[in-house]
Amino acid sequence: MLTAHELTKRYGDRTVVTDLSFTVRPGTVTGFLGPNGAGKSTTMRMLLGLDAPTRGHATVGGRSYATHPAPLTEVGALLEARSVHPGRTAYHHLRALAHTHGIPGSRVEQVLGLTGLTDVAHRRVKGFSLGMGQRLGIAAALLGDPAVLILDEPVNGLDPEGVLWIRNLLKSLAAEGRTVFVSSHLMSEMALTAEHLVIIGRGRLLADTTVTDFVRDSGAGTTKVVTPQASDLVRLLTAPGVDITTDTPGTLQIRGTDAQHIGRTAAAHGIPLYELTPGTASLEEAFMDLTSDAVEYPATLEGAAA
Amino acid sequence: MTTATLPYRVTPTRVLRSEWHKFWTLRSTWITLAVTSLLTAAMGAGLGAAYDGSGEGGMDTVMFVLLGTQFATINLGVLGILATAGEYSTGQIRATMTAVPRRLPVLWSKAAVLTATALPLTLATNLLTFPLAQSFLTGTDLSASLGDPGVLRALAGNAVGLTLLAVLALAIGALLRSVPTAIGAFIGLIMILPEVLAMLPYDTVDTAVRYFPGKALEALTTAQPMPGTASPGAALLAMLLWTAATLALAAWVLRRRDV
Repeated sequence: MLTAHELTKRYGDRTVVTDLSFTVRPGTVTGFLGPNGAGKSTTMRMLLGLDAPTRGHATVGGRSYATHPAPLTEVGALLEARSVHPGRTAYHHLRALAHTHGIPGSRVEQVLGLTGLTDVAHRRVKGFSLGMGQRLGIAAALLGDPAVLILDEPVNGLDPEGVLWIRNLLKSLAAEGRTVFVSSHLMSEMALTAEHLVIIGRGRLLADTTVTDFVRDSGAGTTKVVTPQASDLVRLLTAPGVDITTDTPGTLQIRGTDAQHIGRTAAAHGIPLYELTPGTASLEEAFMDLTSDAVEYPATLEGAAA
Repeated sequence: MTTATLPYRVTPTRVLRSEWHKFWTLRSTWITLAVTSLLTAAMGAGLGAAYDGSGEGGMDTVMFVLLGTQFATINLGVLGILATAGEYSTGQIRATMTAVPRRLPVLWSKAAVLTATALPLTLATNLLTFPLAQSFLTGTDLSASLGDPGVLRALAGNAVGLTLLAVLALAIGALLRSVPTAIGAFIGLIMILPEVLAMLPYDTVDTAVRYFPGKALEALTTAQPMPGTASPGAALLAMLLWTAATLALAAWVLRRRDV
């Protein structure tokens, strides 16, 4: 189990993470989501004791990471940036890490096999592709057979086969009762692997929920309306917060209000409706909706058009 | 999932073993060490062969034979800097500190590994270089044997001094976290700063400069004490203090700063 308790990290006068509290439980994959620059990597570094929080604290299995007698057996971590000396071979990199805990060479061979790196184990990391580098990072994370896994953007740079492999690996690790905490800026990827979500934006907690609840509760649903009097209906429904788009004449995609209101309005004004379909929000839409105020560098289309 | 009583835990001995493994599994280690030894020996032999006895005189025989030490200082210094600052530039430090989150055992182990390597290597190199160079110097005013007063002490003193400088460089690397910056700072401290300070017209500065690491190494490398240098004992003490203080500062920073 992982807990963050009112974690705050400031670099100079820039606050990267603010009062962040959450708990990650064993047995499921928990997705850690947020736009780029939201503070995901900083939070993970604080969980691992690499960065000291300005305020608050983080615990792994009930105590702070640095006080564990055998940290690699408690937490296996894959950080976003590469953490390997390029001049060393994959085997020797893992062997050196294993030595710190007295982990035998047989376990090194085992994780190399598990991550499909046996054939390149004696090549220097310098020549590794992004995907092979990620696999080596995962091999290092698995070295101590840890109860908790913290993985920062593990699918970055992987080919489709690699992505599938990670997904299945994460699910099987969680099924074995481990705590799996995976960051991503891609909601669609998390939808396929995670059951639980911790969402942050600009260093603050936006949601701590399950994938199912998140989709159901978000008001980001789009209702599809087909009517011969589209322009009349648009005029009647136009209100702050209501977003209406159309790509084929007579068909409207309406966000920000529900099917009931649309149906009543149409009936009250005698506008015939051929179709009125409430759509559930896709995970990606719900995520965009939630974080739209919290993106670090929002693209401003309006400004470009003006 | 394996639980319960695994024997796995981090111990100082295991961290030392890990750092030893890391040190020897890089090609740069082998190359740097080989170049250091060969250059010292080749320069000693070359200078010995070229010496015609008509030098300015007053040159110390051990100092003359070990002129290649200047290269050894830089080579071993760079090796020390690569062991610490090199981990920051490659990102390896994140893996290292995740495995050993208490951090300090890593620094002590790196210093120990470098000492255990540099000391025997420089000692053996000096003990081979001296007779090799002397075989060309028979009959000149620089002729001496290993048994002459001060010779063995100077050869060993040079090895100890070089090792301390390498560890000092390792500590500078840990402090500055950048290979080029650390190399610049190291060379500045060892070779440039004493020369600049010596130009100042104050006697106290002149006396103080004798105890700067680069000058102290020279004092340790002479068989006969030279005028205007520190005594071997004082020079050794000064170098120990420089290295210990920088290492202590590096440890303090390592504990406090984010990785």
